[in-house]
Amino acid sequence: MNYNLALSDDILLSIEKPERYIGNEVNSITKDKKTVDIRFAMCFPDVYEIGMSHLGIQILYGMFNSFEDVWCERVYSPWLDMDEVLRKEDIPLFALESQDPVKDFDFLGFTLQYEMCYTNILQILDLSKIPLLAKDRTWDDPIVIGGGPCTYNPEPIADFFDIFYIGEGETRYREIFDYYKKCKTEGVSREDFLHACAKMPGIYVPGLYNVEYKEDGTIKSMLSIYDDIPKTIKKEMCLEISDVFYPTKPVVPYIKITQDRVVLEIMRGCIRGCRFCQAGQLYKPLREKDVEHLKELAIESLKNTGYEEISLSSLSSSDYTKLPELIDFLIKSCNERKVNISLPSLRIDAFSLDVMSKVQDVKKSSLTFAPEAGTQRMRDVINKGLTEEDILRGSHEAFLGGWNKVKLYFMLGLPTETDEDILGIGEIANKVAAEYFDTVPKEKRNGRTIDIVASTSFFVPKPFTPFQWAPMNTKEEFLEKANKTRKGIMSQLNQKHIKYNWHEADASMMEGVLARGDRKLCDVILKAYNKGCIFDAWGEYFKFDVWMDTFKECSVDPMFYTVRERADDEIFPWDILNCGVTKSFLLREWKNALAGNKSSNCRNGCLGCGAASYGVGVCFENKAN
Amino acid sequence: MNKLRLKFSKNGPIKFIGHLDVMRYFQKAIRRAEIDIKYSEGFSPHQIISFAQPLSVGATSDGEYMDITVNSMVSAEDVMNRLNDVMNEGIEILAIRELTEHDEKAMTAAYAAEYRISFREKFIPSYDWIDKFREYLSLDVLPAMKKTKKGEKEIDMKPMIFDFSFDKEQGYIRLLLSMSSSATLKPALLLQGFFDHIKEELAPHAMAIHRLDIYKYVENDGKPYIEPFITDDTQKRFYLNV
Repeated sequence: MNYNLALSDDILLSIEKPERYIGNEVNSITKDKKTVDIRFAMCFPDVYEIGMSHLGIQILYGMFNSFEDVWCERVYSPWLDMDEVLRKEDIPLFALESQDPVKDFDFLGFTLQYEMCYTNILQILDLSKIPLLAKDRTWDDPIVIGGGPCTYNPEPIADFFDIFYIGEGETRYREIFDYYKKCKTEGVSREDFLHACAKMPGIYVPGLYNVEYKEDGTIKSMLSIYDDIPKTIKKEMCLEISDVFYPTKPVVPYIKITQDRVVLEIMRGCIRGCRFCQAGQLYKPLREKDVEHLKELAIESLKNTGYEEISLSSLSSSDYTKLPELIDFLIKSCNERKVNISLPSLRIDAFSLDVMSKVQDVKKSSLTFAPEAGTQRMRDVINKGLTEEDILRGSHEAFLGGWNKVKLYFMLGLPTETDEDILGIGEIANKVAAEYFDTVPKEKRNGRTIDIVASTSFFVPKPFTPFQWAPMNTKEEFLEKANKTRKGIMSQLNQKHIKYNWHEADASMMEGVLARGDRKLCDVILKAYNKGCIFDAWGEYFKFDVWMDTFKECSVDPMFYTVRERADDEIFPWDILNCGVTKSFLLREWKNALAGNKSSNCRNGCLGCGAASYGVGVCFENKAN
Repeated sequence: MNKLRLKFSKNGPIKFIGHLDVMRYFQKAIRRAEIDIKYSEGFSPHQIISFAQPLSVGATSDGEYMDITVNSMVSAEDVMNRLNDVMNEGIEILAIRELTEHDEKAMTAAYAAEYRISFREKFIPSYDWIDKFREYLSLDVLPAMKKTKKGEKEIDMKPMIFDFSFDKEQGYIRLLLSMSSSATLKPALLLQGFFDHIKEELAPHAMAIHRLDIYKYVENDGKPYIEPFITDDTQKRFYLNV
């Protein structure tokens, strides 16, 4: 236990949830700083409750701390009340375990999970008194390194980072640490250290690449300033997924967090190939963990944490081959321990309904379908395998099983979308309601009725997807479409059983700019932060108007990044990276989308995306002999 | 089936953990310790645990209590050791005792609480606050406005102060205050009354409050007294003037 907190009692008692800043949680790691060579501050740039829910940090935290010479600690974004106190009292931002200033660390790592956290990165650097721009840093500052999904287009934040680590974190950090130690003993310059890192697989040092633009603002070239570093950086990936480190002693918070449970990662990657989905492409190929190994991890983690709930994590759990065996095991052992099982991302069918009826209270829980689009044509464009028949059959069985709440998720603004697709949303919702009335006769309803919630989000095209070429809708178009959706639902026979929710269009537009942005945005983000933009992912703090003013001030047109149609051969800011799938494959899929052609999933037939180059996973299933 | 009463401490950074989170903390610790705790019936069973009076956030304690029910155990001592093996340093089980059928629940059995109160270092005043406090207590009536569910009402705090002592060298006062379902005097209210009386500003969170123990009411054949929930020390008995 560390009794020396960075903040005095009266400060901690004057702010909301002091537990966010005191560390000392169960399973958190304290080491003697004199006995370690490397101090790593790992940051999730959002509030504690969100950041603590992230599995990736728990993995790297556990792995780094298993190294004797490394002490990894955690940092989260101070909430606005604490931000104010730190500035007013001039207290430098500190890491939770040692409560020491972040500036004194060797590394400051950020996990970049969503674009709307970018101003929070600047808050962390600023409060830590680390220069915001990488070019201004010296050996007195930590090496600032970024990882996670947003590093697959890191260009909008390239100026703020020394290093981006592209891919799964388990593979290269040991190498980086060893080299760092060597450089420190030998007195190598910071520049030379970064230059050498840039030669390591998966390591992108943005400062060592120059971007030139064409007159129309698109990229002419991105060239390295040294000949001995790679022209493109290929994603790092774990080849033996059952053997890699897994945190069975995750840090257990005192306060309730967003994911307050044991998280069991069952596989990485996805076979599905939905064309809007970035994760589906980034983490290819699908690699399953050994089921016996998972059983051990589950029991060990429950014992070490005392959590009363366990959840499976993957992009599509139904595709895990040994799912029935794993779930049987979990139901048995969790019942003994009075532990709840939560099962997200299951396809609704007879198997999953049976399982769900065993692990949850049917009357209270709801069914979730994600058709994503209102018509079969549109679903073919996005390559979403789910059909209307699937939804109605699944609903029918669920209604027989006692369920009466259904959630339906859709996207608006998908490429080629027409009014018919938009109106189709109301029609599907209506058919699900009708299915309920057909399935459950009046005398069996016991005063209950069908309760449907249809939600739409606005589609944001992402790098490394077939839709990376797609124009995004304007804010006005989005709102008009949401309005049409609402009217479409209102005109349905069963409309009073359907509730409709839609997202904010402003935030989606901003996300669209950042997702496919280039280095010209660094300046905009920096200025927006200086004008007070922070916690942009939190609707109540997102200052759209300030952002728009800043674009104007910087002479950057946000529409350039969103509504513009991109040519087939345009050089994208993220083309300097290689996530395993080839650009030619993505273009082929884009053309298939526009033609309304579906593609098979990885198990039904290989599409030759390029991910097989890693030599593992689903690409080689059934090919072993 | 056994009912157990556990005495625990809450010190160091743990003092910032709110009461509900302390409960959640214990639920997890009990699972980690693999204690055969009794669960309620129903779809989402919960552990049978109850706590005595919650401690306010920021206060420390060496005398918190909770009652648990177990289906089986090796011994009460073993339950205590298992828990201590999986707990954080600042929160420690200090004593355990098996309850009999006649014991009231910790929540309802509480009668008084003993506190040690001092100034946090950076707030220590220049005047002799302990002397002034002693004078304050010698007043006949100690009025205060107490917040109730219906609003505020004026009360006299004096009858709810059972005992008082102090240590000037260490800079603290010790108070034994009523804490029962019918009459609870929180230290914060008394301190506010005191500083209002001497017309001095009390900065927020200037005082460090440490709970030493919680007392129960005992009425054997003889004179009624109060004593800590778990104790073998007859010196700790405090006879009430009734």
